[in-house]
Amino acid sequence: MIKLTIDGKEVELEKPVTVLEAAKKAGIRIPTLCYFEGLSPFGGCRLCLVEVEKLPKLQTACTLMAADGMVVRTETEQIKAARRAMLEFLLINHPLDCPYCDKAGECELQDLVAKYGPEAGRFAEGKRQHPENFDDPIIVRNMERCVLCTRCIRMCNDLQGAYAITVTGRGSHSFVEPFSGGKYNCEYCGNCLTVCPVGAIMSRLHRHSYRPWFVEKEVETTCGYCGVGCSLILQMREERIIRTIPRVGLGLNNGLLCVRGRFGYDFVESRDRLSTPMINVNGELRPVSWQEAYEFVIRRLKEIKETHGPTAIGGIASGRCTNEDNYMLQRLMRFVIGTNNIDSTARLYYAPAVAYLEQIFGQGITANLIPGIANSDGALVIGGDPTTINPILGLQIRALWRSGGKVIVVGAPGGLKRFASYEVVPRPFAEEIVLSAVVSRLVKEKELKGELTHLEEKIKGLKEPAEGDLQAAGVSAETIDRMVTDLKAMETPVIVIGPELLQHGRPSKNLFLTAALAYAINARMFVLSERPNYQGVIDMGCLPDMLPGGRPIDFEMFRHKIEETLGKEVPQNKGLNLFEMIDAAADGRLKALYVMGEDLLFSLPGREKTRKALEGLDLLIVQDIYLTETAKMADVVLPAASWSEKDGTFTNLERRIQRVRAGRTISSGRPDWQIVSEIARGLGDDKVFSSAHDVWEEVIHISPLHAGLSYEDISEGKAIWPYHGEPLRGVEGEFDVEGLDSLPKVDTDAIILNMHRPLYHSGSTSRRSKALISIFPEPVLMMNPSDAKGIGVEEGEKVRLATSNASIEVKVKIDRDLQQGVVSLSNTFEGVNFMRFVDYTVEPTTGSMVITNNSVKLEKVKE
Amino acid sequence: MEFLKEIEEILNRYPDRQGALLPSLYVAQKEYGWLSQESYEAVAQALNLPPATVKGVATFYAMYKHKPMGRHLIQLCTNVACMVMGAERLVDLLKNKYGLEPGGTTEDGRFSLVIMECIGACDKAPAMLVDTDFHADLNEKRIIEILESYK
Repeated sequence: MIKLTIDGKEVELEKPVTVLEAAKKAGIRIPTLCYFEGLSPFGGCRLCLVEVEKLPKLQTACTLMAADGMVVRTETEQIKAARRAMLEFLLINHPLDCPYCDKAGECELQDLVAKYGPEAGRFAEGKRQHPENFDDPIIVRNMERCVLCTRCIRMCNDLQGAYAITVTGRGSHSFVEPFSGGKYNCEYCGNCLTVCPVGAIMSRLHRHSYRPWFVEKEVETTCGYCGVGCSLILQMREERIIRTIPRVGLGLNNGLLCVRGRFGYDFVESRDRLSTPMINVNGELRPVSWQEAYEFVIRRLKEIKETHGPTAIGGIASGRCTNEDNYMLQRLMRFVIGTNNIDSTARLYYAPAVAYLEQIFGQGITANLIPGIANSDGALVIGGDPTTINPILGLQIRALWRSGGKVIVVGAPGGLKRFASYEVVPRPFAEEIVLSAVVSRLVKEKELKGELTHLEEKIKGLKEPAEGDLQAAGVSAETIDRMVTDLKAMETPVIVIGPELLQHGRPSKNLFLTAALAYAINARMFVLSERPNYQGVIDMGCLPDMLPGGRPIDFEMFRHKIEETLGKEVPQNKGLNLFEMIDAAADGRLKALYVMGEDLLFSLPGREKTRKALEGLDLLIVQDIYLTETAKMADVVLPAASWSEKDGTFTNLERRIQRVRAGRTISSGRPDWQIVSEIARGLGDDKVFSSAHDVWEEVIHISPLHAGLSYEDISEGKAIWPYHGEPLRGVEGEFDVEGLDSLPKVDTDAIILNMHRPLYHSGSTSRRSKALISIFPEPVLMMNPSDAKGIGVEEGEKVRLATSNASIEVKVKIDRDLQQGVVSLSNTFEGVNFMRFVDYTVEPTTGSMVITNNSVKLEKVKE
Repeated sequence: MEFLKEIEEILNRYPDRQGALLPSLYVAQKEYGWLSQESYEAVAQALNLPPATVKGVATFYAMYKHKPMGRHLIQLCTNVACMVMGAERLVDLLKNKYGLEPGGTTEDGRFSLVIMECIGACDKAPAMLVDTDFHADLNEKRIIEILESYK
């Protein structure tokens, strides 16, 4: 126990902390400027100077460790004079342009000067000149205002890990700059904006458009971009979002955001937003009133149900919509129309991955806490780059590596390049061989626990790759040795599973191998989620074989329970999944499809097949915030409220449920749950839902998993797995693996088109954000330098990229870290998106799609 | 590349990559004559350090040159002892004879001039360095003679 006295107050400390932290604990505020909670102490600004008895000089409280018996004073005349002097020095160069500086009102320097003076400076030399830099589309730098506290640099290096900025020069010619001196070309997380105490690094998005005291209300919500679910605050004025900010201490992101969360919010104000319902009349979408639209949908659904039965109708839920929205859509399909035909694009990899792993281990196996990753001693990352798919989870892996943990990346390292102990880059889609080798070796050297016999039996039947197989996979036996040794030594390992593990090769085998590995080394698993609510879609029962709460439809008991509670019948037969619905629409079995918040034409491979299927429908209902490609084909289009305009909840990839709150309320769109509810009532549903809260009340009433979990609990952060509910355990057991006793053939000659998952974009939503588009404005084909050289093309030049589906010209961008034989294109831009080029097959065992037709022809375009 | 080989050798002498940064920057400066954005990047890649970090370190030190230099670098001291002994007249002389401004380079790219702080040769002031050669007891005649030997 350390006891010290600060300003006459006795302070007792459990563990050693700095004097500054000790004072904070005692409720004493010491002024600071270069200190920022969570960053390493710097001691540069000299404002936290305090007097310590028996020490001859003033000490910086942020760097001085509190010691037993210390007597500290924080506000004496001597200290005040020192602080005043420090501020006078800072004001030698800091301009007094507060009247037009955006920071004024929330500027730490302004506040400090107001408190400590000086009222006038004695330096008459004139201030240094350094023009504001507007080279960057998002961030504006005004280095005349910089006080060189280096908070931005410590943030960038120590927490974000982008290492994008530095102090150049020395003395009064020191400036903070990105490497280029102009454009940042960084990860654009904007966390440097959060920490800048003055107006030196600012966002251009709302430059000179507000003053901090213009903020009328703050709305605490959950980011709508990816499956991490960062907490952020919408700062509003006149129903418009002025900016979004994170807050230290709030949510699992604890003050950090990524580029999408911080800058991507303007998609809600895009001009492309739908403003009115529309009905297709003779091939043309015509605006109609809500009443007409509802009547049309209700009449058509009734007709189709009567003529073709309920199973001729299907619904597509959305990973971008809230739990309440998705619950209502499955409610409409199941309890009102009477079909289990409901699914979503979680089917593309997320839902099959979670379902398969839960079948082996039990419900909730992937529900692990993201902030715990940094405290682990090792990580294996496979199938995708967490720093771009789920950036804040990616930062946790960087932190793990920084604190001395081992990070092994299988595949191109991407944003973990500097943070991986090593990367193992097999030939395209030969991960199965690497994993097979590792698992085979590992179980020889390490005895299995004997807990899960069904899993252990399968592991015994696994074919071990021979030397030749490894060679074909492009991985040496030494690498496997090293991986096995490192994995064995990990005590608290995590395994991070990305989409590519399922979308190529044999999904069930890859997942089984990962599960076997996790079992052998006792690892926690995370499945990366590209959408904010894929997990919620699953938990709300938007699956053809699962009811809300993840209860299998085959179990009569669960069906009956819902029937009793709601007084509605639950259809018995398993419904059609996403791919089956497309097939059924193509061959005429499915007549109507209700698509909520999803652009099927854009998000699915096999575009022509999807298009034909949708064309063949008698009724296509599309409910979205934009006139998407799919919406253009619709018989009726219903404009929805966007993420910032509605209330509800998201369930993130760690299965944490968090509140989404309406900020901006002006919109011609209506909340999805409300639209669905209106239609359900027209179809004979007697229940009235008047708010998202009403919907949630029903969810917690019928889902045993969410039992008793109120909005208040969720707001208080209590909705962490397994909530207060009952996870479904004990139904895990037999599972199938395709090709347990064989290994894949590796095609070494083909050039494979892969999906690029850039940090700056996530599907088509980000395309409507002006800010994100300014960073990543057009489609680019990422190529390895030697592949580019092979066809004689340089960065910025165009190639013709062709598969049997499409042949389109696209600009090339060189990526040194991309493996040879792989080119990648994002699924962001209309007309030149990844999915347009490829087809798919479905692996029956997992129900996951496998990308096919991805071997491409590349040709330089002659100018 | 010769330059990369040299950096590899330097790396062997240091416990970590960061430690090898300053000597590696010297190697790059020797290779290119000055440190450009490209040379920061080359060093960053060779040492697997972030380019911004390399630039930050390089721009802190006066011994690294951040713009193209002449074939020969004159570093002339004008600190107190040298100033008293007439160094400022020598600065004027260089301006008149070669058109060489402090911090500048002659048009033919022969000389660059940098005004140095004390180079520790006050007993033989005024003094200068030309490239790595030390010359002291300068006067207007002697400095021209010396410089004329650098082509």
